Amino acid sequence: MRLLRWAVLPLLVVPLTWVLFTGFGRDPSEIPSPLIGKPMPEFQLTTLDGKPFDSTALRGRPVMINFWASWCGPCVDEHPVLLDAQRRFGDRLTVLGVLYQDTPEAARDFLVKHGDGGWASLLDDGSRLALDFGVTGPPETYFVDADGIVRDKQFGPLTGAALMTRLAKIGISDR
Amino acid sequence: MRRRAAPLAAAALVALAALVVIGLARPAVAPSRAEQEAQVAASLRCPDCAGLSVAESSSGSASAIRAEIGRLIDAGQAPEQVRQHFVARYGDWILLSPPVAVAWWLPVLVVLAAAMALITWLLRGRRRVPVAPTLDGTSESDARLEQVRREAEALDA
Repeated sequence: MRLLRWAVLPLLVVPLTWVLFTGFGRDPSEIPSPLIGKPMPEFQLTTLDGKPFDSTALRGRPVMINFWASWCGPCVDEHPVLLDAQRRFGDRLTVLGVLYQDTPEAARDFLVKHGDGGWASLLDDGSRLALDFGVTGPPETYFVDADGIVRDKQFGPLTGAALMTRLAKIGISDR
Repeated sequence: MRRRAAPLAAAALVALAALVVIGLARPAVAPSRAEQEAQVAASLRCPDCAGLSVAESSSGSASAIRAEIGRLIDAGQAPEQVRQHFVARYGDWILLSPPVAVAWWLPVLVVLAAAMALITWLLRGRRRVPVAPTLDGTSESDARLEQVRREAEALDA
C-alpha cells in the first residue's frame, strides 16, 4: 500500500507533464503532413508559359514547391521571401510555384505587380496535384530534398526565419 | 388427426429454415456509385472551410475532392480505400470522425482507478484491527505514551 502511494505521484505527474509539454510545444493550426519522410508525388503539368513540365526534371536538386494564388492575401506578404530565396540560393535550389484554383491571367498580373522571380509556376487544373500533396489552402510550401523525399512543410506564409529553418532540412544554408 | 399434424409441422419448419437460409445467403443490395460517392464525401472534411464536409461545401477544393472521389470509385476502389487515399495525403485530420485514439480512454481509466482506490480504502477501514497488547500487558499506545512522558520530563529537567 505504501509503495502504491509513492507510485501514484509519478503515475499522475509524468503523463500530465508529457501531455502539456507536447500540447504546448506545437501550433494547433498546423496539421502534421503524412507526406514528410516520403517521396513526393510525381506529376506532368504545364507551366504558366505553356511549356510542359515533368517532375523527374527536379531530381538531384533540393526543391521548394510553393502553392499560391493571386487572390490569396498572405501570398502577397510571402512573395518577397520567395524572391529572396531565389536570389540567394537559386544556384543550388529549385523554386517551383503551383497555382491553386486561379486563372493564368490573374496569376500573370500578380507576377507583374509583385515581381517575377523567374521560376516556373504550374497550372494545376482540377487541383489534382494540390490534392496529392494534401494542400489545405494557399500559401503552403513543401521542402523536398535532392533525393525527392519531402522533408518539411510550411503552413501559411513563409517568413525569413521559417525559410532558413525549413531550407536547412533539405541541406541548404548560408555559406 | 394428431398423427398427420407432426409431418406437416416438420415440413413447415423445414420450409421456414430454408427461407431463412436463402434470406441470409442473398447478398445485400450493393450501394450505387452515386451512393458510394456521397457516403465518402460526407465523411471527409472540406480542407478550406470550417467544420463542413466535402459533400456540403461548394468551395473549389471540395468540388475538386468530389471529382477525385468519383475518379477513384470509377477506377474500382471501395469507399474505405478512397478514404485511405485522402488520409495518406492529409492525415487523419481529413476524416470528420477520426479513429479512436488511446488518449480517449484516459478519463475512463482515471474513473476506474479512482473507484478501485475508493473500494480498497473502504475495505481497509472495515478490517482495521485493535492495537496489539505488548508483552507486559500494557498496549502499544500505553508504552508510547509513557515514552513521550519520559521525554517531556527530560526536557523539563
